[in-house]
Amino acid sequence: MSSTDGPVTRGRVGRRGGGAANRYAVLRAGRASFLMHRRSVLVAVALLLVLAAGFLLALCVGDRFTPPSSVLAALTGGDSPDAFTVEVLRLPRATVGLLVGVCLGLSGATVQTVARNPLASPDIIGVTQGAAAATVVCTVLGVASAAAMPFVAIGGGIAATALVYGLAWRRGLHAQRFVLIGIGISLALQSVVHLFLTKGDALQAQQAKVWITGSLNGTTWSSAWPPVIALAACLVPLVWAARAQRAVALDDATATGLGTRLDRSRLGLIAIGVVLASVAAGAAGPISFVALVAPQLARRLTRTSQLPLVCAGLAGAVIVTVADILARVLLSPTELPVGVLTAVVGAPYMLWLLARSRTGGRS
Amino acid sequence: MSAPALAAPGGASAAPAPSRPRATRRRLLWVLAAVVLLALVTLLSLAVGARAIPPSHVIDAILHGGSSNDALVVRTQRLPRTIVGLVVGASLGVAGAVMQGITRNPIAEPGVLGISNGAAGGVVCAIVLFDVHSLTGYVWFGFAGALIAAICVYAVASAGPGGSTPVKLALSGAAFAALLGSVISGVMSTQAQALDEYRFWLVGSLGGRGWDVALQVLPFLGVGLVLVFAVARGLDALALGEDAARGLGQNVALVRGVGALGATVLTGSAVAAAGPIAFVGLVVPHAARRLVGTGHRWVLAMAALLGPAMLVVSDVIGRVLFPPSEVPAGVMTALMGVPVLVALVRGRKVIAS
Repeated sequence: MSSTDGPVTRGRVGRRGGGAANRYAVLRAGRASFLMHRRSVLVAVALLLVLAAGFLLALCVGDRFTPPSSVLAALTGGDSPDAFTVEVLRLPRATVGLLVGVCLGLSGATVQTVARNPLASPDIIGVTQGAAAATVVCTVLGVASAAAMPFVAIGGGIAATALVYGLAWRRGLHAQRFVLIGIGISLALQSVVHLFLTKGDALQAQQAKVWITGSLNGTTWSSAWPPVIALAACLVPLVWAARAQRAVALDDATATGLGTRLDRSRLGLIAIGVVLASVAAGAAGPISFVALVAPQLARRLTRTSQLPLVCAGLAGAVIVTVADILARVLLSPTELPVGVLTAVVGAPYMLWLLARSRTGGRS
Repeated sequence: MSAPALAAPGGASAAPAPSRPRATRRRLLWVLAAVVLLALVTLLSLAVGARAIPPSHVIDAILHGGSSNDALVVRTQRLPRTIVGLVVGASLGVAGAVMQGITRNPIAEPGVLGISNGAAGGVVCAIVLFDVHSLTGYVWFGFAGALIAAICVYAVASAGPGGSTPVKLALSGAAFAALLGSVISGVMSTQAQALDEYRFWLVGSLGGRGWDVALQVLPFLGVGLVLVFAVARGLDALALGEDAARGLGQNVALVRGVGALGATVLTGSAVAAAGPIAFVGLVVPHAARRLVGTGHRWVLAMAALLGPAMLVVSDVIGRVLFPPSEVPAGVMTALMGVPVLVALVRGRKVIAS
């Protein structure tokens, strides 16, 4: 999202009438116009700043603290004694964490919009577990090359979603049934992961940890590519999703009345969410609760009625980055899996959501 | 959601009003069949493993001792392991049946509701923080953990208007289990050795359980069963609804309290012995209700027979699936249990509440 004085040529910033008063800004460029929620822009900028600070800090901390000046020197190619630590060990890890966070935040926002229920986020309905299970099975059986793994993960995520969807369908889709069956399938898939981890002697304990809780330990550049490609590929669909979201969030009759092809929009949004969540799980294992918390956090910050996509992605990145820093320094020299930290924060939040809800979420 | 409605298809209640003695005879037959099944499964568990031992040798080794390799394997390794499996299975099956009765919720179960994880958290704390290493020592921490988890999960699920629906119970159980699982693996990470020792325990496994564990866990099963059977009548009344139960002269709070205490003892000791094993407590009571109807004395007895059968079969399958490594029994029970959960959820009764 560009700031107000972005790529606008003959642009002028207008105000949207009366009640909405100051909340929206309109960008106009010729016949094109773009409506912007002012607060969302501010929140996005703030999140970006926090993210930048967090990213820098992630490069500084570790076994040995590297001063930020030294990190910046190493990044800009200058001579630094810490070049190896920063560029080879910490940079890929921080980058993958950031990318995974963006993927999770975005996927949470799209899936939660369709389900109209914050609790039906990808990690609860089995998407991430499906991706993790598929990856583990294929690794242990040795049927797919490393290059094919992202596709395996996506396939697993889609298959798990399709399974949950198919099993939950019974003369229509009931949100509660969907969530309950999702929980069941996630448990089964976790068991599949354990099952194949007992079989695979080749798989080392470190990798096992990744697949059970989600971890960024020992991440290399190779796992950064799938999320980058997936995010790039989803860029155009995401622009569409931002529009589709608004209609899908309305009730069915209103949305249909406004001319939305509801089924198609839902399917599209779900597809984006599943692909992004699966890619994230393929890169770092099932990091739980980020997809649940990030969009909700973003919405509380922006105070919009929909889940804001850009802010959700940024919030996801901030959460994973900060959680990974804590995971590294909290019990130093032991490195916790990042999934442990996100669960410790995310699970109480989910319990709080539950305690306030009537039926386990809206709808 | 009341328990009788659950068993509507099949079970004694579906038959066109059978005369009372005939219904009892049928239930007795089912119980007898379960006993036979359990005996067969036990024999199977003693005979199957890295090395298959013919059943005749197994029986010989148990009855007459002997010092052949086979006899030693059976008596020192497979017998205690099988006994632990039987005790844990019975505990979990009965605990599930009681929890479903108390909460009047068809998907209540120690594993799904995160109570097993609570017990596991307590046990891990005892081992890592307080350096307690015997089952009779850390089982108390297991009880405390199970109790705290049960109270938290139920409190969260029944907070807010609408009370505790199945979906809220399951979600709060899942969230609580995830939270505890993370805390456990965090605590474990600080102690590499502890992690290694208990990695398999955390998934729920019967592997490597010796006579010490088997003998230590037995008394707790006894206490738990006594507590639970004491309130069986009360649970029957409770199935009609709280008001009806009160009208029938039951002290609802007492029934719930004693039942919960029994379920806690059973779950805590089972987890202390074998780790958090999910889904036995879910599948078994439903199967039992199909066979012997909804009366809790019958359901509890049947659960105490079917629970061990299910767990021991899971353990045997886990032993033969990927030799030489063993698949933990908890993994197998989950794979068997999820289809049952899905069927229950699809069966409309769960959601309609």
